[in-house]
Amino acid sequence: MSARLVVPTRLAVVIAAIVVAGGARADETPAPAPAPADTALHRYFGLTAQPADTAGLDSTLAARLERPWRSGRGPRRVGLAPSYTFDRANGSTVSGRAIVSDRDAHVMLTGDGAYATGPREWLGGGELSWWRRRSGTITRLELSGGWRTGTIDRDFPDPQLAMVRAFVNGSDRQHYLRREGFRVRASARRSDLFAAFAYEDWFESPLTVTSYWNLLKRPLVVPYNIPAASGRMRGFSTELGARLPRLPVRAGLDFDLASRPLGGDFDYGRLRLSLAGEFPILGFLSLLPQMRYGLLEGDAVPQAAFYLGGPRSLRSLYTNSRAGTGLAIARLDVVQGGDLLALLHLPHPAMLPLQAGAFVASGAVWGADPFHVHSTLRGEWPARDAWLSEAGVSLLYRPGIPDDDGYFRIDHAWRLGPGPPSIGWTVSYSRMFDLVPGF
Amino acid sequence: MPFVVLLSCAVMLAAPAPSPAPAAGARVSTGPTLAVEDTLHTEVPEVLVRAPRVTLDEILDRVARGEARRDSALHDVAFTATLRVVTPATEKKPAELWEETVARVYKQKPDQVRSVTLRHWEKKPPKKQAKDGEQDDADMEFSPSTEERIVNFAFRPEARRDFRYRIVGREVLGDHLIYRIAFEPRSLVGDDPGGVVWVDTRDFVIVRQELDFSRSPVPLLLKGIDRVVIERQEVDGHWVLRRMLVRLSLTISIPKFGRGVDLAFAMNDYAINRGIDPAIFAPAAAPVGKR
Repeated sequence: MSARLVVPTRLAVVIAAIVVAGGARADETPAPAPAPADTALHRYFGLTAQPADTAGLDSTLAARLERPWRSGRGPRRVGLAPSYTFDRANGSTVSGRAIVSDRDAHVMLTGDGAYATGPREWLGGGELSWWRRRSGTITRLELSGGWRTGTIDRDFPDPQLAMVRAFVNGSDRQHYLRREGFRVRASARRSDLFAAFAYEDWFESPLTVTSYWNLLKRPLVVPYNIPAASGRMRGFSTELGARLPRLPVRAGLDFDLASRPLGGDFDYGRLRLSLAGEFPILGFLSLLPQMRYGLLEGDAVPQAAFYLGGPRSLRSLYTNSRAGTGLAIARLDVVQGGDLLALLHLPHPAMLPLQAGAFVASGAVWGADPFHVHSTLRGEWPARDAWLSEAGVSLLYRPGIPDDDGYFRIDHAWRLGPGPPSIGWTVSYSRMFDLVPGF
Repeated sequence: MPFVVLLSCAVMLAAPAPSPAPAAGARVSTGPTLAVEDTLHTEVPEVLVRAPRVTLDEILDRVARGEARRDSALHDVAFTATLRVVTPATEKKPAELWEETVARVYKQKPDQVRSVTLRHWEKKPPKKQAKDGEQDDADMEFSPSTEERIVNFAFRPEARRDFRYRIVGREVLGDHLIYRIAFEPRSLVGDDPGGVVWVDTRDFVIVRQELDFSRSPVPLLLKGIDRVVIERQEVDGHWVLRRMLVRLSLTISIPKFGRGVDLAFAMNDYAINRGIDPAIFAPAAAPVGKR
């Protein structure tokens, strides 16, 4: 094959290089240079391992350095992307997004506009970000703002699957609010450390349910939307994440401060601590303990509360079914390494390497409850009877896209001890370490 | 004298058995026969090595320091990079080149980088470009970093908790002592690869690496990554990336392309620490009317 290619195409490339001191044209098949010494590696990779033909490259380089605007696509990129989202508060939302970036200037500008057919409102906004990578640290400065829809539970939003649930059978259980304002955020990220600091100014307002339809024409499982407290949230937020040295453990510390002296309507401090690790045992099982603790001091507004329930929290409870001003949750997942179906000698496509898992978890929320159902005394730790426990099994699939650590999960949980009955099977998509911030 | 007798007996017993008769057809020499002396025996006294053996931890520390030192010695680097996409040969068809891009790359610390595409060729260019007879330049994007994380990602100090290491061999090549160190990820839920690196103990830099992906990093698209070979070369006393060869298997067969894909990323024609004209990094503004 290569012998047939080499002679005529090499000749063509050489002639073209002499005649035109420019880049290769479509009819110039790049000809591999003569094969180097025959080694095992070159026998294995063959044509792939052969060095490229260098004829004409020097003159092309000289020409392109002299007239750089004639080569390449340049550092600037422009992109447009339409999108469609659906939830029961906004109904169908049709939007368009434009992106302009400059690789050399390390700047990206995005803007989007959307029309929400439920409340018949125009939404949209923009973001200007500047980044720099130096010595393994990525520093980023972002200015974003606009009129947007957010989730009441700010810790575990699940926009993609929630939209599918809302659209298909009306089983979305998330609650929404409108946020209008801006945020300035500076962050620094290394392979084992993440830190961010932001100033936020948002006017938050409640949303009502405007869309009751879904594809299967089922009644909405949650026919209401928890109303957010209306008012301006002005304050700071801090995020810290780290992988501990020499230990397979990662930790997170987040703190939000909303302050009246800054001109806002709310006054609260919201703290979250989280810890997670992976400890392989016996060569084919991994223990993944995780814990998260949160405490809200000050105004107990629904949009600052902690929510319990759902695939990324207590899996035996429905999403956002309990809430409070304090949260404590601990979970131990045991995950089998390798391909479960191959282990069972079951034929299956290569794209479907499933893993099996099991888990036990306990969690509690306490303090003021936006649902006004389970409100208990505020404090720093839940009462003994506030704890709910569960155990379950999981079937896991990691597709590798869009997130390299994202898993599709099918879980079945059983209630351990007193509490509401388990919801049984759930389908979700989340990171394996879903109780700690990802960085 | 009994000792001499015993020694003589021992020598006789240790003497080789008589040679078997030459095989039929073998040529038998008719001239004088030269005896081969194989009964000489020498012994050297044992030498007790008192120096402590270098531990694996110490080797890993030295590799981390060696890699850091390698990077710190680089101020500016220019090289020619070639990216090649090939469908590997199968029983039914030979290997076929699908795409090749050649670029000259300039990097200068701390954060300047520029690549100039010299050639871009596709077997099946987009219809518009094929009609125009000219192919669009495909920019290869490069990081300004010279750390070469693709080579040392498992040997960075912060990666020590994520991998298990073991020495699988020591080889002397010329006057270089080469350690072969295998590494494998501790995690059973991540997608980090394992592999083997060859470490030259003269500089304690990684000179070659073979990666082993026991799990596909993207199972939905890739059945597996069959082989990855990464090699470095020494240029002007600096170890720099020479090439990376990758063979992938796709989960689905693409018409006219197949399931297998080979990728080659080769770097040559290095110019290291020779200074780069600042104009190289200047924005490429076109004069009015010249575009």
